[in-house]
Amino acid sequence: MVIKGHTVCQGKAEGEAIVYKGPFSFLGDLDPNTGKVPIPNHPLEGQSLVGKVCVFTTGHGSSGGPTYAWAAKRRGNIPAAMIFLEVEPIIATAVIAAEIPTIDKLERDPFEVIKNGDRVKVDATAGIVEVTKC
Amino acid sequence: MFLRDEEKAMLDGHQGHGVQKAMDLLVKLGECFGAERMVKVNWTHTILDGLPYDFFQAVTEGAKPGPRVTLHPGWQPEKWKEIGLTTGPRADIFIERHNQRLEIAKRLKWNITETCAEYLLGYIPKKGDVIAMTGTCMQVANNSLYGALVNRAGDLSTVASAVTGVTPYMGLMLPQNRYAHVLVKLEKGLDFNNWREMHYSCLGYFIGNQVLGYKNVVIDGLPRNLPFEYARAVVISHPVSGAVTLVHIVGVTPEAPTLEAVLSRKPEQTIVVGKRELKRTWEELNVHEGDVVEHVAIGCPHCSIEEIRHLGSLIKGRKLKASLAIGAGNEVVAKTREMGYTQPIEEAGGVFLNCCIGVGDPFISTYYAAEKAVKSSATNGARAAHYQARTMDVAVFLGTEEECIEAAVTGKWEGREPEW
Repeated sequence: MVIKGHTVCQGKAEGEAIVYKGPFSFLGDLDPNTGKVPIPNHPLEGQSLVGKVCVFTTGHGSSGGPTYAWAAKRRGNIPAAMIFLEVEPIIATAVIAAEIPTIDKLERDPFEVIKNGDRVKVDATAGIVEVTKC
Repeated sequence: MFLRDEEKAMLDGHQGHGVQKAMDLLVKLGECFGAERMVKVNWTHTILDGLPYDFFQAVTEGAKPGPRVTLHPGWQPEKWKEIGLTTGPRADIFIERHNQRLEIAKRLKWNITETCAEYLLGYIPKKGDVIAMTGTCMQVANNSLYGALVNRAGDLSTVASAVTGVTPYMGLMLPQNRYAHVLVKLEKGLDFNNWREMHYSCLGYFIGNQVLGYKNVVIDGLPRNLPFEYARAVVISHPVSGAVTLVHIVGVTPEAPTLEAVLSRKPEQTIVVGKRELKRTWEELNVHEGDVVEHVAIGCPHCSIEEIRHLGSLIKGRKLKASLAIGAGNEVVAKTREMGYTQPIEEAGGVFLNCCIGVGDPFISTYYAAEKAVKSSATNGARAAHYQARTMDVAVFLGTEEECIEAAVTGKWEGREPEW
């Protein structure tokens, strides 16, 4: 299945999908030293986002997000690609600075068509997402 | 996007590689959000510490002093050393790194304000001023409480604005984008007479979490004579759980004399908040077992003169078992010291800091304090509670400032479930 979207940060990558219907921040929701989610009592607690294609609703939280994204990238602890319903300026700055291929505003609801574990190819330069069901 | 000749020259590298890199980031950001052009900033508020030094050095290289730049709280490593938290070679490394950045800031004539509440120092924007700002609490406060034009922005893009003097013309800069998308109604029966900053912060945190993305909120039903500190506690908690950067409060904030003034059409979303939602929010923000409190952190965002006066009156004549950090700008502390408000706090063992209390309290962070870091902390706002639990692996108690000070005195949490 191929779905069109809007380019946030150019680039191509693929990986296993991690889907969470909520917002994301590089400050507080991903430990740059481990690449894991540190949030207490959260469905993703302890899961690694490294090399994954992460699907979230939007960004939230601190303006320090881009710096934490930069730090995570330096340590190789970033997602391969990201998909959002709609980005906001802090999460956009973070993925642009860390050069993570990212797409938002897909023509179909990503939470309906992408499930945890699906294989997802993101061509953010062309603005295309390709989903292979697991 | 359209660029003026001087902006194009920056992008083409005529002002050096650093300015080019900065303009490149701003152009990519603007294009992502459909900005048609750049706009000159009246003021930039950015940050030094914590930024990747390679990025900071690269972007500021060759830059010249531009429009006014103020600074967010960062590290205060000499003070940390003085109070015995960060010591030895570790302290020296922090001091060296901090001073390297200060040198660059001084060369560029940036004002070393180091507070997340510039408005308390007299840096108050006029309605309509264009500001590129780091610190989501600064963004939402200046937008909502003063009517400045401030977008949600990340730290790296505000450094880029500080060296280029521009920001993409998009989002909340455009008059048509300042109306409310989301209407918040408050259920009857909430007793605001009992409410403190903690209560108001939980309200903002709950709403921020319910709103999807970069939308504006209007809250109808709060007391019209809301004191500054309480109005601030409401607005600054929204972008912690969410991305809301403009919060109108009917009868309180300048763009919302009436509900109709900020709701041009039917709201996209209506949220009703009552006691049940607030109780759940407070429960989620309390992340602890047992009742031992080793540390109390107040001042996220930095305290006002009135808040410090109140804390002083609560502590007067008592001694503290737990450590107490109070975040405030240097100028605010100087005035409260002159008034005698700080004396009971400092005599009891409390410490004033101008660093970030929410994400970077040096008593809690193992990055700063190593093995001296505390394992439990109490605070009076949703913002600090959220970040302390997520970034510093510490047990968090959230209560009123009265309950926090009691805990600082006894070393135990005796706070009760709040009444809403």
